[in-house]
Amino acid sequence: MTNVRASKISSVVALLASWIVVAGFAGAALAQPGPAEHAPPAAAPSEARKACADAMNADPKFAAEIVKVADEKAAKQRDDDTLKAHQDAVAHIEKNERQVIYAYAGMWIIAAAFVLFLWRRQQALKGEIANLRRDLDAAAGEATAGKGQA
Amino acid sequence: MTKLAVPVFAVLAAIGLAVSCYLVFFVAPLEYSFNEANKLNGSSLFFNQKIYYFHVAHAFWLFTAVGVAGTASIGFLVKRDPRWDDVASASVDVAVAFGAVVLLTGSIWAKAAWDVWWQWEPRLTMSLLLWLILVGYVLVRRFAGPSADRVAAGMAIFGMVGVPFIYKMVGQDSHPAAGANGVVATMQSGMRLPFWISVASFLCWYLALVFSRLQSTRAEREVRELRERGLDLGVLS
Repeated sequence: MTNVRASKISSVVALLASWIVVAGFAGAALAQPGPAEHAPPAAAPSEARKACADAMNADPKFAAEIVKVADEKAAKQRDDDTLKAHQDAVAHIEKNERQVIYAYAGMWIIAAAFVLFLWRRQQALKGEIANLRRDLDAAAGEATAGKGQA
Repeated sequence: MTKLAVPVFAVLAAIGLAVSCYLVFFVAPLEYSFNEANKLNGSSLFFNQKIYYFHVAHAFWLFTAVGVAGTASIGFLVKRDPRWDDVASASVDVAVAFGAVVLLTGSIWAKAAWDVWWQWEPRLTMSLLLWLILVGYVLVRRFAGPSADRVAAGMAIFGMVGVPFIYKMVGQDSHPAAGANGVVATMQSGMRLPFWISVASFLCWYLALVFSRLQSTRAEREVRELRERGLDLGVLS
């Protein structure tokens, strides 16, 4: 009975040990860098391409025509780039325009507020002066009348 | 004279501002410059430079207004003539408004040119302090009681002394330089006429406001005198 149990334990241990060994090898294998990826060798010009280039070079007029078309494409690209740069500059200037509007609006608002303050103050003082003069004139009139009665 | 001065200077200022607005926006060139590689300089301001025409003109007359207020305050303290005090008070009130415009337009300029609303650099900080002194002058006159005129006169003189320091703080910060090699002296020819018309227009505007404020100041004194007479007569309590 004891021998049977001991043999079972030893077989389980052996199985575990073998799994550990296999897993260790598998991990080590996975950790290794993969095979170097070599760039594919440059393709040699095909026969058709070579024939095409020969045909272009055979007629100088035809070759010049092809170069002209290629240059026109490059010029159009340059024009597009310039236009985009100008559009960016316009957008930049427009952004600045907003700041100018803020600055001028602020300046006129402060000026208008100050003029309004001056005008209201002047009106209030005019009213106060008129009231005081009226009161003083009335008082002076009463004093004169009092003296006359006396 | 004062009554006539206000409409005359106001009309001159209105005409001058209309002309300068036309010149600034339709005649003056956009500001830009090139670097050594013949590419557009990063400091080019383009349309944003239009703020300059009114910002600098306001700064000129702000400093002048503070100078007038300080000088008039010295006159008041020496001679004790209230007419000097009237001139100082009127000039400081206008200087507060002009200072607010300078700080506001300068801040917007800074945002567009340097992408910051404010920098704690000597010139800007001193300008803010000067403006706060002017605001303090107004508050003292309003709330400081019987000796307010003399205390305020001292503050105006203090503010005037600070102006040369602000002007001389050139080349020590990112603010455009002043003086012989400054932005005004080295301006493009197409910008000069709009700029100087703008400066002259704001001089007229400053004078119109000062004379208008003088009328108010004199009216305030008349009110005080009438009240004193009323108290003497027993009409007022």
